[in-house]
Amino acid sequence: MNMIVPKLFGQSLEGRLLIWTLLLTLAAVAPTRCVAAMSDNPVSLKVFPTSIELSGKRDFQNIVGQLKLASGVTQDVSGEMEIAVHDRDIVRIDGRRLIPLKTGETKLRVRHGDFDVNVPVTVEKPDDAPPVSFQLDVMPVFSRTGCNSGSCHGAARGKDGFRLSLFGYDAEGDYYRLTREMPGRRIDVATPDDCMLTNKSTGRVAHSGGTVFAADSVYYRTLQQWLIEGASFDEGEVPVITSVALMPPAAVLDGDQAIQQLCVTANYSDGTSRDVTDLAFFSTTNPTVASVSKHGLVSGGQRGEAFVMARFGTHTVGSEFVTLPAGLEFVPQPMPENNYIDARINQKLQKLRIAPSELCSDAAFIRRVSLDICGTVPTAQEVEQFVADDSNGKRARLIDRLLEQDAFVSIWVMKWSQLLQIRSFKNIVSPKSALLYHAWLKRKISANTPVDQIIVELLGATGSTFANPPANFYEMERDLLKLSENVAQSFMGMRIQCAQCHNHPFDRWTMEDYYSFAAFFAKVGRKRGSDPRESIVIGHTGRETKHPLTGKVMQPKFLGGVVADIKGKDRRVVLAEWLTASDNPYFSRNLANIVWAHFFGRGIVNEIDDVRISNPPVNEPLLNDLARNFSESGYDFKKLVRDICNSRTYQLSTTANESNASDLTNFSHAYLRRLSAEILLDVIAQVTNTQNKFSGLPIGARAIEIADGNTSTYFLQTFGRSKRESVCSCEVKMEPNLSQALHLINGDTIERKIRKGNLIGKWQAEELGDREILDRLYMRVLGRRALEAEIEAILATFEKTDDANAKKSMLEDVFWALLNSSELLFNH
Amino acid sequence: MSNPFKCPDHRLSRRNLLTIGAIGGLTLTDFFRMKSVDAEQKHYDSKEGTAQSVIFIFLPGGMSHQESFDPKPYSPLEYRGPFQTIGTRLPGVRFGELFKKTAGVADQLTIVRSMTHGEAAHERGVHNMMTGYRPSPALKFPSMGSVVSHEFGPRNNLPPYVLVPNEPNVYAGSGYLSSSFSGFSLGSDPADKDFRVRDLQLFEGVSGRRFAKRRRMLDIVNDHFRQREQSDSLDAVDTFYNRAYSLISSQQAREAFDIEKEDPKLRDKYGRTAPGARMLLARRLVEAGVRFVTLTYGGWDHHDKIQNGMKNLVPAFDQAYAALIQDLKQRGLLDQTLVCVTSEFGRSPKINATAGRDHWPKVFSNLLAGGGIKPGQVYGSSDATASEPADNPLTVQDWATTIYSCLGINADKELMAPGARPIEIVDGGKVRKDLLV
Repeated sequence: MNMIVPKLFGQSLEGRLLIWTLLLTLAAVAPTRCVAAMSDNPVSLKVFPTSIELSGKRDFQNIVGQLKLASGVTQDVSGEMEIAVHDRDIVRIDGRRLIPLKTGETKLRVRHGDFDVNVPVTVEKPDDAPPVSFQLDVMPVFSRTGCNSGSCHGAARGKDGFRLSLFGYDAEGDYYRLTREMPGRRIDVATPDDCMLTNKSTGRVAHSGGTVFAADSVYYRTLQQWLIEGASFDEGEVPVITSVALMPPAAVLDGDQAIQQLCVTANYSDGTSRDVTDLAFFSTTNPTVASVSKHGLVSGGQRGEAFVMARFGTHTVGSEFVTLPAGLEFVPQPMPENNYIDARINQKLQKLRIAPSELCSDAAFIRRVSLDICGTVPTAQEVEQFVADDSNGKRARLIDRLLEQDAFVSIWVMKWSQLLQIRSFKNIVSPKSALLYHAWLKRKISANTPVDQIIVELLGATGSTFANPPANFYEMERDLLKLSENVAQSFMGMRIQCAQCHNHPFDRWTMEDYYSFAAFFAKVGRKRGSDPRESIVIGHTGRETKHPLTGKVMQPKFLGGVVADIKGKDRRVVLAEWLTASDNPYFSRNLANIVWAHFFGRGIVNEIDDVRISNPPVNEPLLNDLARNFSESGYDFKKLVRDICNSRTYQLSTTANESNASDLTNFSHAYLRRLSAEILLDVIAQVTNTQNKFSGLPIGARAIEIADGNTSTYFLQTFGRSKRESVCSCEVKMEPNLSQALHLINGDTIERKIRKGNLIGKWQAEELGDREILDRLYMRVLGRRALEAEIEAILATFEKTDDANAKKSMLEDVFWALLNSSELLFNH
Repeated sequence: MSNPFKCPDHRLSRRNLLTIGAIGGLTLTDFFRMKSVDAEQKHYDSKEGTAQSVIFIFLPGGMSHQESFDPKPYSPLEYRGPFQTIGTRLPGVRFGELFKKTAGVADQLTIVRSMTHGEAAHERGVHNMMTGYRPSPALKFPSMGSVVSHEFGPRNNLPPYVLVPNEPNVYAGSGYLSSSFSGFSLGSDPADKDFRVRDLQLFEGVSGRRFAKRRRMLDIVNDHFRQREQSDSLDAVDTFYNRAYSLISSQQAREAFDIEKEDPKLRDKYGRTAPGARMLLARRLVEAGVRFVTLTYGGWDHHDKIQNGMKNLVPAFDQAYAALIQDLKQRGLLDQTLVCVTSEFGRSPKINATAGRDHWPKVFSNLLAGGGIKPGQVYGSSDATASEPADNPLTVQDWATTIYSCLGINADKELMAPGARPIEIVDGGKVRKDLLV
């Protein structure tokens, strides 16, 4: 493809730095290396790209090399490779840059040490040099240099009077504003080197954005050439980018001196490809682990992992980086594996050179799994029996037993109710509708109905919100755009909101994608039912969705997929079938991730509803396996939970070892998780032997059973219960605040329940001694025996008294302390 | 298990050094900041400015500017509305006739008559005035109070951001910041006879002595778990327990919430009304150290019968607000307390068919006073029918940036939103120097 060529890599400052840093690194590091690291032999050489096609006079391609060592560490050898061209008439090599000479095919032989790799090369039209393209050449300069970013001219109202579309979603608009909005002001084809565009960007005249690039840079030359050639807009169809590749796809850096040069290529719809390393925008998810320069040179930092990304056009691609302490010696220990989950976790941990924690104790396990599956704490008797049981497979049997309890259903009905925003609200959803909707959901989940069936019933629902409760799905959100955003967020874990107004900056979604996805719901309408609280949902009315910029009617198109065939079908059902198809890349992964996050406190993709290219899963193979097993089981929800709970990974201790103490994302040990508002309140009621009362529910009902999102109490609200006002996972708040602490310390919830349940009084009546009562309290609240030291310390605070009431209040103070303890507040 | 990691060059890793607890003096703000990815962010240190505190008085529904601070006595009847005007302490500046007492403190105020934005729906307008941002479908912005809480944290054992009596709307919340920075709601209205801040007092039957023993027991119970577990979220819970303890045990802090401690004469002066009690309590709170108090009063959405509506609401507000300004002035607190009065928008130029006015964000009025704001001026103006800004239109961004600057916060600073997305506290606002002393 013919394009303006960016400046030579090898001659740039960055390139020179690269080589110098490399040499210095070797010199400085070599003498202090561990013996093992010295004997860490290279095992393979990879050269990128693996094949090269050059087309047009200005085309070129840089080459990067990566050496892999036996330990798994990789080294950047881009500057140290010998590159030989087989047929020197066809291409020539300049440093690591390949330049076309003549049409034909040849190959490169790249050598480093004992390795050599062949790279096939094709050259076409080496004399072809068409004019600079506004869309293919000029706009990428604006994106790369940040001119069209949100903090500069890409802001909704532009900057200092000049606006560009954010990240270039509107080529025609940008062309108009540059050339026609203020004729003669911004560009001047007669004096390309003396017009506002070139003067401002190079800082020759005052510019709030400073000097964006130098007058001898490739970016300047692109703009200059475009002006010289008449500053025209592209005629006819312009090839679109079909894919972008970032190479190498992964690297393991050995310490904070290690580096790796990246290379980015773009493929276009006309079959050509292009080296866009100088036009891509690089970023990293974790700069303290792996930082990346503007030119795509990655430098190692602290131990950890990072995802380094390159954005070009609407495409964002990533490469996985792991940084290890320099010269770290690692002897992998064989780890027991209960199932496929552990295999995937251990693979990842080995890559990070992390050893998982030990298994948690039986007492810790029964508390953890009871809270997670049923939202209850085990009774003293259950704990004792479980700990005493020495038969094989007792943990698996416990899981099976818990899965059969009603509370398991209640927890997941609650989770789904949050996702579906089941709540009554004024003039639209009556409490009766909310209750019917909730009851329908409960029936479905009790019967372990395959999730795909539930989704088809929901999305395809029509008719009366009374007679067909899932039709309430269309009542919870009536705005068409919000509704489609909610579907993407709830069922695919994706936030596509950004694309409502501009192309998504951190993902691939364009406005085109957004509005054609919204078109699936364009035909949803409503009319009044015979009962004033009832509404009838219709699936075949309403106007088509239009693109707000072009006014074009949008055909329903799957996100990341093709235009849907909706002839003679309800388009919502077509969407539901696409979502739940076994090869859908989003749906089963999203649900598996939601379930995983419930049991681990964070998702494999985290936050669970923030799936995007720039927020990759920490363990993609694991997420894929979970999703595949889930869809292959016919969306058997219980089986998924069973797999997760039976994994060794779920059963690990919270106690960290030397290698995994700092790991907070890869599940190498169990993390502390605060109990959710509902479960905390239920547990407080359970251990104080009292009952809760919520409006509209019978006395003794549990907080997890609340049907209507509008039913709440001060306690639930303060501890961050979801109000179900949006589908966002952030509706449930787990962060602490002052009101929570004050309420547990001084509030009526704990005080009243201690008094009402009167357990201390009953135990005193049974004539139990202080020690026995303390022991019972500990077992009851924390699921463990009090340590001797704890009993001694507590008894030491007791004042000597024979007055039963005084004694009672002292023991109630212990109860208060236990209910205020972090050991109760967290699952661990 | 044997340690599989051995390297002769073993040192304490930098990651470990960064772990909370390894170094002392880390605040909660630091903790939440560290949780976010440390991408490139515009950073400025926040240092207390001329305004030590803010009392943010929000009048929900949209108070009419024509009937209050920007009357148009010379416009035709259907524009000027049902009220007469009165003179104020500022020569040539007139208010609606109901604002008699406020007119008497006008020399202490900056009266903004050119506030402007484009959001005519309540929730969107409220969003603007609470956060300084236009609503976005993709992001929830933090309220000004939460930003202050994030930047400065508590002072004198008191919560930095207090909501009187409750969170008035979701935009007064913490937005994309952790909900730990949300305001502390009183949970009870100071205007009520049996007003008591929820959970601030020890539970009945729990004496101070018994409470001290309880705390000791809780330490004993927590000790085992604390020794075994290390987690940032555990530290965050402890932080709030400690804040609660210092609030409960500091008599001074607790009394800041006790309106009964005020001289009954002063209470009468503020008026024993909702705005009177709320504003008086707000003064107590900022005097004791609270940084940002948000209070609301009334429902000003006068689509119908604006004359009655204003007559019902204004006198109590007028009395309380004038008393607040005088009280702060007398105590020498006005110079360090920024008092801000605003609605989400004003009301339409013409009286409508139901004798009311409809939503009007194009131009409206609000009040600023104290804390570095210039006393005794009118800022900006509207046109002859109060439909468009004439001079110095004041945008939400500039208004918010100016308030932040009084507090010592550079609003160009970026805070971290989810997805490692740095967001300016206010996007593109400028400090309006003319508003300042």
